[in-house]
Amino acid sequence: MNESLISPFNITHPTTVQTSLFALASFARFDPTGRYVATGRVDGTATIWDLDTRAAIRILDGHVKAVSSLDWSRHSRYVLTASKDWNVVVWDLASSCVPAQRCTTLRFDAPVVSASFHPRNSRIILALMTTGEAYLVDQRKAHRGRVELCEVQEESDDEGAGASTRVRSAITVARFDPSGKHIFLGTNSGYILVFNTHSKTMVARHKIAGAGAIKGLEFTKTGRQLVSNSADRTLRQFTVPTYPAPSADGAFIEQELEPTHRFNDPINKTAWHAMSYSPDGEWLAGGAADPANHKIYIWDMSNDGQFASALDGGREPLLHLHWHPTKSSIASTTNQGNILIWHSPHPERWGAFAGGFEELDENVEYEEREDEFDIEDEADMVRRKMKEEEEEVDIDTVPEAAKPRQIHHHGVQPGDEDVAWADEEPDDDQQDWKMRVIMEEDWDI
Amino acid sequence: MSSDHRAEDSSTDDDAASQTTEDDPQVPEPPAPVPGPSVPVAGPSIASSREKPNYQLRHTIRGHTMSISAVKFSPDGTLLASCGAEKMVKIWSPFTGELIRNLNGHTQGLSDIAWSSDSVYLASASDDTTIRIWEVDSGLTQKHLKGHTKWVFCLNYNTASNLLVSGGCDGDVRIWNTAKGKCMKTLHAHLDFVTAVNFNRDATLIVSCSLDGLIRIWNTADGQCLKTLAEGHDAICQHVQFSPNSKYILSTAHDSAIRLWDYQTTRCLKTYTGHTNAKYCISACFSVTGGKWIVAGSEDHKAYIWDLQTREIVQVLEGHSDVVVAVATHPSQNMLATGSIDSDLTIRIWTDRGTEAA
Repeated sequence: MNESLISPFNITHPTTVQTSLFALASFARFDPTGRYVATGRVDGTATIWDLDTRAAIRILDGHVKAVSSLDWSRHSRYVLTASKDWNVVVWDLASSCVPAQRCTTLRFDAPVVSASFHPRNSRIILALMTTGEAYLVDQRKAHRGRVELCEVQEESDDEGAGASTRVRSAITVARFDPSGKHIFLGTNSGYILVFNTHSKTMVARHKIAGAGAIKGLEFTKTGRQLVSNSADRTLRQFTVPTYPAPSADGAFIEQELEPTHRFNDPINKTAWHAMSYSPDGEWLAGGAADPANHKIYIWDMSNDGQFASALDGGREPLLHLHWHPTKSSIASTTNQGNILIWHSPHPERWGAFAGGFEELDENVEYEEREDEFDIEDEADMVRRKMKEEEEEVDIDTVPEAAKPRQIHHHGVQPGDEDVAWADEEPDDDQQDWKMRVIMEEDWDI
Repeated sequence: MSSDHRAEDSSTDDDAASQTTEDDPQVPEPPAPVPGPSVPVAGPSIASSREKPNYQLRHTIRGHTMSISAVKFSPDGTLLASCGAEKMVKIWSPFTGELIRNLNGHTQGLSDIAWSSDSVYLASASDDTTIRIWEVDSGLTQKHLKGHTKWVFCLNYNTASNLLVSGGCDGDVRIWNTAKGKCMKTLHAHLDFVTAVNFNRDATLIVSCSLDGLIRIWNTADGQCLKTLAEGHDAICQHVQFSPNSKYILSTAHDSAIRLWDYQTTRCLKTYTGHTNAKYCISACFSVTGGKWIVAGSEDHKAYIWDLQTREIVQVLEGHSDVVVAVATHPSQNMLATGSIDSDLTIRIWTDRGTEAA
């Protein structure tokens, strides 16, 4: 809400490291409000950090093997941790138990690579196993179930021959789109499969030519753009097509997707560990899998994907990065487990220390106002001031801009029944829940 | 102004008119066309601006033996805390006026107190240069914040209550991590006593004011000064706070005027006058539970209530026998608390049951 006072210039990309958190983490993710960052560790714990105080405020200890991924519910009340110990654990941050207690555990038959909440309801969870299967787990009473999302196998015309030789491809990435209406799966054979979340049926299959195994998928906030990371060390951006409602006969769209942009490192040919869009989708950050340097590449998507800058974070190689949900800030993780918080610093404005001064970037010819040195009658002045003060003021309505904006998601119409389905039996992740401040034990009083 | 039960108030109307200029009679007219564009808010606010508050004394709380410096309602509305020169915080029930607890521990007098937004903790600023964070239910000190080099004069929590900001007589503003009880940042903010500090709604900004006559706005994240509002030389500001929506700041100054500023444009939007304030640090506050009022103490032993929009004095609360330095508004009910110094030493609770109920 104070963007105009704090940064008079438009939001830009981060340029320098503001803080480093000593977290021993393998990745870090901002929550949707941008007030916290959650880190996952190899020893099976996850930590919630308060960015205001830059201190760890909750330790989530629930796994016996490395935490492989983590997700926040839409208003940050619930956190999910997925681990190589075959479990997915959901935590409720509104509970004030110390240490934090798990609220749900989902057990699977293989180590879990990644898991995420449905963007509208944290009781629907998508999980991906190291064995290449993706499951959609619905914990709501009326829809309770666990469904494996299976690629439709062609009943090919040339009787058996084609179908039997075709090995079922393993799923390597599983993501909800930002509306939660569709699930996007990347496979090790270079396909992106799109499932309808409600019906759990495949609605589209996209071949990504030349990509090889898909390693990552990221969406812009609106869900209009999608970027993929793949085994050929190239990031590809796509415009997400609009998918029709799933048809009763199980038909799906078979379509090759043509990227609008490709990004790679032409010299070193480094692979990418992670990528993340800025909140407005105007920048894309790619974390290079450089073995000796911590490098983040930034491309200007509003300027046709032009390379904007490479951020150098020092000697500790990068493992992961995540862009802040609202600000020009990035959290990147080093292989030593440190979290670097990047920001774009504002130059100190010394003029701000003197009342009534304004700093100018360059000289301006001052033009005297016609009445500038006129002597006004004091009584007139008082009267004019009084007149001015009659203007109504509003002291308690919160301006719209300060509230989270409703994002219009790509491909979602008002009254969409898939959205209504996801909103059934909502979780109690209300916007106004408060994270209780837990006082640390103090022995020196 | 036509409603029938207003008739008996005509005397106060005249009172108010005598305080202001001849433009005032027009006031009810110009706002009338406004409701059109800003429909939802303007409707009720116009209606309520014609109402007048009718606060009556409910309780006179005696218990302080030395000057009172601050009174604050807990955010859940169940408790009232007060502090003064006698080294302890007192917790009262605002409904019965009973003393519930004393919080003992400071070795010098107290200048200010602040509640955490869950009403569980209370922070107190003392002349012993420290701040204590109390768990109010148990009465125990949870944290003892040391760092200020001189008396701590003012403090406030942010909405999330993970941060505390305090101002000292050394001119420094400090930002504290409440969970750890450690100072995160020191801003060498002013050249004289910092008399008030306040976070805005989302804690991105801090406003501070000082006896050096300046009001400054700071970026919480990096501690940079974003703006300075300088009042006139004869108007040293001693209390400042953000409006409930954080769009404006309200300041009180030693030229007996309370001002509402638009800090984005550095423009003074409203001036409230009629009370006396030339010597003491007197606080003012917004009242939004019924009509929209500004409430402040005064050196003429009274407390004043102004209409936010018209700037007319709508009620004067009489009863204290010394300077009223502390005022507070209840978070959800039409209830005020006022506190006075030296020869009075009482807290008075005032309630407005509304004209309908009366």
